[in-house]
Parts: sequence; C-alpha cells; structure tokens
Amino acid sequence: MSPAVPHGRTAKRTLTLATAVACTVLLSCARQASPPTGSAPTPPAVRYEAHLAAGGIAPGGGTLDNPHAGDTAVAKSGAQLFTAMNCDGCHGSDATGFVGPNLGDGRWRYGGADAEVFNSIYYGRPRGMPAFGGALGVEGVWTLVTYLRSLPAPPDVPTESWEPK
Amino acid sequence: MPRAARFAGLVCLSVALAPPAPGAAAAGTPADDGQWTMPSKDFAATRYSGLADITPQNARSLHPVWTFSTGVLGGHEGQPLVVGDTMYVVTPWPNVLYAFDLRREGYPLRWKYRPEVSSNAIGVACCDSVNRGPFYADGKIVYNLLDGHTVAVDAHSGRELWKTQVADINEGETVTMAPLVVRDRVIVGASGGEFGIYGWIKGLDLATGQTVWSAHNLGPDTDMRARPDTFRPPYDHGADLGARSWPNDSWRTGGAPVWGTVSYDPKLDLIYYGTGNAAPYNAEQRLGDNKWSASVLARRPGDGSLVWAYQFTPHDNWDYDATGTMILADLTVAGQAVRALVHFDKNGFAYTLDRATGRLLLAKAFAPVNWARSIDLNTGRPVLDPTKQTGVSKGNVKGICPSLEGGVSPSSPAAYSPRTHLFYTSTNNLCMDYAAAHASRLKGTPFMGINAPYSAGPGGYLGTFMAWDAASGRKVWENREPYPNWSGALVTAGDVAFYGTLDGWFKSVDARTGEVLSKFKVGSGVVGNPITYRAPDGRQYVAVYAGIGGDWALLSGDTRSDDPSDVRAPADFLPDIARHTSQGGIIWIFAL
Repeated sequence: MSPAVPHGRTAKRTLTLATAVACTVLLSCARQASPPTGSAPTPPAVRYEAHLAAGGIAPGGGTLDNPHAGDTAVAKSGAQLFTAMNCDGCHGSDATGFVGPNLGDGRWRYGGADAEVFNSIYYGRPRGMPAFGGALGVEGVWTLVTYLRSLPAPPDVPTESWEPK
Repeated sequence: MPRAARFAGLVCLSVALAPPAPGAAAAGTPADDGQWTMPSKDFAATRYSGLADITPQNARSLHPVWTFSTGVLGGHEGQPLVVGDTMYVVTPWPNVLYAFDLRREGYPLRWKYRPEVSSNAIGVACCDSVNRGPFYADGKIVYNLLDGHTVAVDAHSGRELWKTQVADINEGETVTMAPLVVRDRVIVGASGGEFGIYGWIKGLDLATGQTVWSAHNLGPDTDMRARPDTFRPPYDHGADLGARSWPNDSWRTGGAPVWGTVSYDPKLDLIYYGTGNAAPYNAEQRLGDNKWSASVLARRPGDGSLVWAYQFTPHDNWDYDATGTMILADLTVAGQAVRALVHFDKNGFAYTLDRATGRLLLAKAFAPVNWARSIDLNTGRPVLDPTKQTGVSKGNVKGICPSLEGGVSPSSPAAYSPRTHLFYTSTNNLCMDYAAAHASRLKGTPFMGINAPYSAGPGGYLGTFMAWDAASGRKVWENREPYPNWSGALVTAGDVAFYGTLDGWFKSVDARTGEVLSKFKVGSGVVGNPITYRAPDGRQYVAVYAGIGGDWALLSGDTRSDDPSDVRAPADFLPDIARHTSQGGIIWIFAL
C-alpha cells in the first residue's frame, strides 16, 4: 500500500513547517519541500496486527509502507529532524529514552510496524505523545520513521544481573 | 456520572462517621499543636516540629507501624498533611487525594477524591508526573493537578468546592508545586522551564477559586506587577529589567517557572519564591542577564505587587533553577541580628539574604562548584570561571560542577532548627559536560537544546545529607551517601533529623552530630519529604513517602519495571541503582 496522505491541506502545511523550522537543520530541504509521495487520498486507517481481534475476526484497515525504508540519506535527515522538532527533549539524545520511552531498544509500546510508528508520530498517543502530523506533515513523519528504523537495536537481553560473572 | 454518584454516597458516610476537628493552625507561626497543615510545616518553611518524644536516646527503636500503597508509580515527591485526626495524601498524576482516619485501627480511608486529570499533561511535564503536596486552610484541602488546575476539596467531606484552570498544557505549562495559602489568597505557579513558557505566579480567591491577580516572573514591568514606587531590587535600577535583559523579546519564551515551595513572612507581609531556569538551555538564544529567571522574588500576597528581586544566576547557562525553598529564620550574622532568608541553590552556593530588602549577606559553596569562584557581596553577582560558560559556540564544555541536577534538587527542601541554629539538607555530588544546540520553539514541545551527560563529582560519593550554619556559611557535619540524595529534610525539638535515600533507606540521625540512629529499607527510593505529628492516641509519629522518580535524566529509566517496551541501559554514573530499588508509591508511618 502506498503511504497515507490524509489530504492536501496537510501537505501544504508540511511545506510551511519545512521552511520555518526543519530547513534550518536539514541537509536536504529539497526532499522535504517536494510534494508528498503517493498523492492518492488513501484513508490513514491502520490495522494493528498485534491487537487481539474479537472472535478472531480482524477488522478492515490497511498498512502503510515507508517510502524511504532503508534510505540512509533520509535517515540522516531524520536524525536532524529528531533534534529540530524537539523529540530529543522527551526521548533523549539518540532516542535512548528520557520521560518518553527508549525508541532504540527494538521494543515498541504501540507497535513497531512502519505504519504503527507512523501513526504514533502523526496522530500522537495518550499519556503525553503530541501529534506531530500537523506540524511535520506526511513526509516529515516518514523521515522520522526512517531515522528510528535505522537505529541499530541492541541485542534483546531481558536479564539485568548484578551477580558476579 | 456513575462515578460522581458513587462518590456522593461515600461522602455522606464519612461525614456521619467522623468530622475531623482541625485546630487553629494556619496563622502566622503557631505554637506546635502536633499537626502538619502546610507543606513546609510553617510559613517560614522550616520543616521543624516542636514535638520531642523522639530523641537521640530512643530513636533506635523507631519502627514502621503502618504502610499503604498509593497504587501510583510516578515519583512521590512532597509530603502528607495531618489535620486533626486525618492524614491527607496527594499522589503523582493522576493526583488522587486520600483522607485517612487516624483514629481507627489500620487507618481506613474516610474518602478518596479522584479528579479527572488529562493524561496529555504527562508529556508536558519535563521530568516526571510529580506533585509536591496539598495545603490545608479554612476547612479546605487545596492542591494542584498536573494538567493545570487548582482544586479545593472540603476537608471533612471530600466534596469538590471549586476547580480553576490556572495553566495551559498547550503552552507547555503543568502544575507540580504545592500551593501556599495566605489569608484568603491561594498562591500557585506553573512548571515549564523546559517548554519555553512565559513564567508566572497567580493569586486565587480561597473562597471561590477565582483568579484575583496574575504576575509574570519576567517581561515588562506591567506584566510583572512591578511599579517604580514599590519595586526596589537591591542591586538593579531602571524600568523593565525583566524585558531589557533579554534580546529580541526572548522573554516571551524565557521560562522562569515556579515549581518549588512558597514561604511567607506575616510581619513584612511578603511571599518569597524562587524561579526556574531561563529557556532555552542554549543560552546564546537569549544573551543578557535574563531577569528574573533563577531568582528569588518577594511579593505582596494580596495583590501580587513585586517588592524586591534578586538573581542568583544571571544569564543561567547551566539549568540552575532557583526553585528551592526560601527558609525564613532570624539569625545573628557577623554580630548583627538579621531577618534572614536562607536558600540552597542548584548552582551549589548557599545564600543568606536580608529578607526585608533582598540584600546578600553571605554566599558560600555547599557542594563542589566550579562555574563560579565566589559570589561578590558588593554586587550580588557571581565571579565566573570563563572556561565553564556554555552555548552553541562554546561546543562541548566539560567538567562543570554542579550538574544540572543541582548541588541540591529544588525538590528536596531543607529544614531549620531554632534549637541547633542549623540547616539540614540533602545534596548531590555530580558534575556534567554541557553541549548546547540550537533549540527550535514549537509550542507544547520541549524547548531546550542540550546534551549534558553527568559524571560523579570529586570524592567518590554521589550525595550527602548535611548540617549547615547559615550565619557563618560553614558545613557542620555531613553523611556521605552512595547515591544522589533526593529527599527533603525534617528536624524536631527532640534534636533528631530525618531523611531518605535514593536507594530506599529511611534514616533518623542526631541533629547535632549526624550520627545515624535508625534506618529502615522502605521499598523504593525516597524523593519525598518526611513529616512528624501527634496522632489522636497522643503518640508522635513520623511519615514519609517511598517512590523513586522525579527526574528520568538522573535515573535513566533503569528503575522502571512496568513497561516491557521500554528497556534501558543503566546510567554509567549510577550503574546499580536498579539493584536496590524500583518504582512504586508507598506511604510509611514510623513510631517508637
């Protein structure tokens, strides 16, 4: 499925934001200012694959694919956007967690699929995550998703031990 | 609706069973009646109790007699109140108010009050969803909700009397402080130094909750309620100091929040409170002194008029909030009797001021300090070390002491004993590197621009509990602790002082020597403030919260166990705190 583009008005605000804030730090403003990819009016509904479905019947709803998945240049821009948009103020430098959770540990409170991370940033979450979709637009949010997905998750070691090794 | 109906039933029951009989408490400095009716015990914010049953001779037999889980995991700062035969406890978000019946075995609840508090506020609170406690006045329990409301609840029935929106989370404002009530005025302020708020303090009407006055802590004189005929800062002259000391109108997003305790001198009719850091942390976006951030302000409680202000840290470029308590004590300094104000600042200096004028009498380092060499008593200004100044152009400035956690956290209020003439406080022994970055202002999100990793200060310990002579600027004794110390202090007429530690010990010590008399592991790190009171059975008790939290920068999230999707490495300067404690709020009561 192509990336969600809720509607044109949002895309326009993306340009404004890119000019006002993000361009001051982004290496490539050209990418930020280009029209959002996938201009079809796709509804942004996302089905959370990890949610339990009553009766085992999954609801309708799609998934979103990151148009920049694996693009290291976009990930680099996203790292700068992470600071420019003050994400680091809650999630810490390098996204390792502060009042907001660690985003680099490979574990995800609201689901780790591209679409789920997109929705967390675009629409916000309860308990404090603001909706950045209005300020960042679709393209800006995908840029952040690309950065977060580029973070090398450490090996998942559930045990923290203080016993002598 | 169903919830309201259910509460109404509880309320009727509690009124029928047990009307508390609060004594005449909140007036000036009352003789000790065994209650604890305001956050800092008295208007002077001494946290000193006249109770003397517990002494250095018998404190070894202190033991827990009651506990209660608050059901909340956020950092349990603040303290309970005891009014008559009821103990009142406010939790961190969601700011539940519990009223315990101290006359009955097991202290069952008379009622609990559960306001609707927006969960969105959690993301606007810089460091944790803390609450620093309620205030009792005129039959009401008054306290603040994280999402920007002040509420008054009937102390007998638990019924909500009024609820006023004072702050706006969309602007980055939350409310974590304990209010102060003076006569018919409720004094409140907002947190948000990390969100670029335009800091303020307000006076509400105690009867109705209506906002009577509102005054900013920075900006033009009209916004600050500073008039030329009544505002006399001891070291500054001229109009609009709070605006002219900020270039390009940067005061509009300059922070200077209010999140500590407020004290009051009835004779001078002045309230005293400290302001927090200047925003953003990258100080090159706001050159100048940035008045009146990192300052103490003295105002008239009735109409909010500004009378004097003194800035501890001009052009704060280390996040040195001055929101720590202003303790009012009558001292003899250099042979002169003075009406003093004593303040332990995050910047590592302890200040003794004349509280009538704001003039500086004494300032000495109480923790390792290197950002300034001393404080000039003639100008009131710090003598800076030029190599420890920060900003984007300075790059990564290494080895600044204290760290931005402060020589002491403002959340850890000190105590003063008129018997020993000593002040008691927790301290931190941490330093930091400080790499400022350009901060972009996006309303409702952090406005900081900083990467500041901490390291242990000199000496191989991370915190202390100590006794300080504010008349001479001298440390009398200190107990070194393996972790930063984050509890408030309590001292009594029995000459016993009390504090808790971050790794979860609650200790009583001899107030004259620091000798540890008793200690008990209370289940979670202590960041709250102990209190003492005489219960209906006539005995002296000591109460304190356990419940680590209050600053995730300090704790690294390693002490959390409730979220399987948030796993963090321990902080390198605090590698094993999670070995000794995890989150969770518990109220403890101790007795002989």
